[in-house]
Amino acid sequence: MDKATKNIFFLGKGGVGKSTSSALTALHLAETGKTVQLVSLDPAHNQSDIFEKKFAEKAVKINTNLTVKEVDIDYWVKKYLSDIQFQVKRSYSYLTAFNLENYLDIIKYSPGIEEYALLMAYKNIRKKAKGVDYIIFDMPPTALTLKFLTLPHLSLIWLDNLLDLRNKIIEKRQIITKVKLGKKEIETDKIRNKLHEQIKDYREVKTIFEDKEKTFLNLVMNTDKLSFSESELIVDNLNKFNISIKNIFLNKYHDDFDISEIRNKYKQSGIQVLPASNKPLLGVAVLNDYLRALPAFIEM
Amino acid sequence: METGERLKKLFQKITETWGLYKEAAQATAVETIETELGEMENIFGLLVLGSFIGFPSPPMQITLDLLPEMEKHFVLMLNKVDMAQSPISDLLSTFDVM
Repeated sequence: MDKATKNIFFLGKGGVGKSTSSALTALHLAETGKTVQLVSLDPAHNQSDIFEKKFAEKAVKINTNLTVKEVDIDYWVKKYLSDIQFQVKRSYSYLTAFNLENYLDIIKYSPGIEEYALLMAYKNIRKKAKGVDYIIFDMPPTALTLKFLTLPHLSLIWLDNLLDLRNKIIEKRQIITKVKLGKKEIETDKIRNKLHEQIKDYREVKTIFEDKEKTFLNLVMNTDKLSFSESELIVDNLNKFNISIKNIFLNKYHDDFDISEIRNKYKQSGIQVLPASNKPLLGVAVLNDYLRALPAFIEM
Repeated sequence: METGERLKKLFQKITETWGLYKEAAQATAVETIETELGEMENIFGLLVLGSFIGFPSPPMQITLDLLPEMEKHFVLMLNKVDMAQSPISDLLSTFDVM
């Protein structure tokens, strides 16, 4: 994993223009000489329409500095479950593994798997993106994004408590072997090792998410009340988990809108105004024209 | 018998009795810890694998990552659930009555 690579997340209510804002930012950063990978984690996959090109898991080059890829979340769910199934079959007796197959089939639909698949995809993208300056993530709508961003924190609460209980169990087991065999045996508990591995993994992701130098969260909103209140909800929720919003992208902006309310409310964040365009922002040429017409683009 | 020898025998008896007591007390103590350990393992199993029997559980991926190492817990928990509806037959099979 390249530690210098910065994450930029675009989040917000459905339909406010996360994909357009992330595409514009990607093109702008590439224009300034930075190497950028734009990744769509949104199942709606709007980037194909915006760039008028078919994208897939394999990164597609747009210009010398910019590549784009779309992540198939279903693929990651399937891959994860089949990996687990393989491990279970290897370590369980035949009958138990056979009985468990039905359970694993149902787990596909269990809540929580989707955000974990997102997290796996995220880790894989970071691992592969060597030497890239910025990875820009076009995120799914609010609910899933919030779950994804808070997953490491919540998982760590569970894992720390489970590890605590595991340590107590091992301690008790050591007392028994000491009394019975007369000497203390150092145990290698596979479950404890797994817990340690998971904790290490989540800590790493959590540290990057909370690092204001490495992870930038851009909140996209429109000038309507609904997108305002949902944005407020996002900011409050993330603040609880020590994650803050770096910039606000005010998309589809029109001149009769009073921007001071937003400036007052989000004093800590920068604001990028994206005026409403009179033609659809589709295709690289149109996007570049739009970028050139902007008076300024916020620094990342 | 000389006094010295008598004392020696007495001392031997005391040591033997003490040894027996120690062994008995130790066995009881170990048994208690073993029972406690068993219960702790049950709790751990229930915490991690609860979702299989309709309990609130940790985020699914924590369960799934630990699953390959938890066959013992898993089988035990499913057996307990099977028996939960018929505690008397569980008791009878524990004592091997029928």
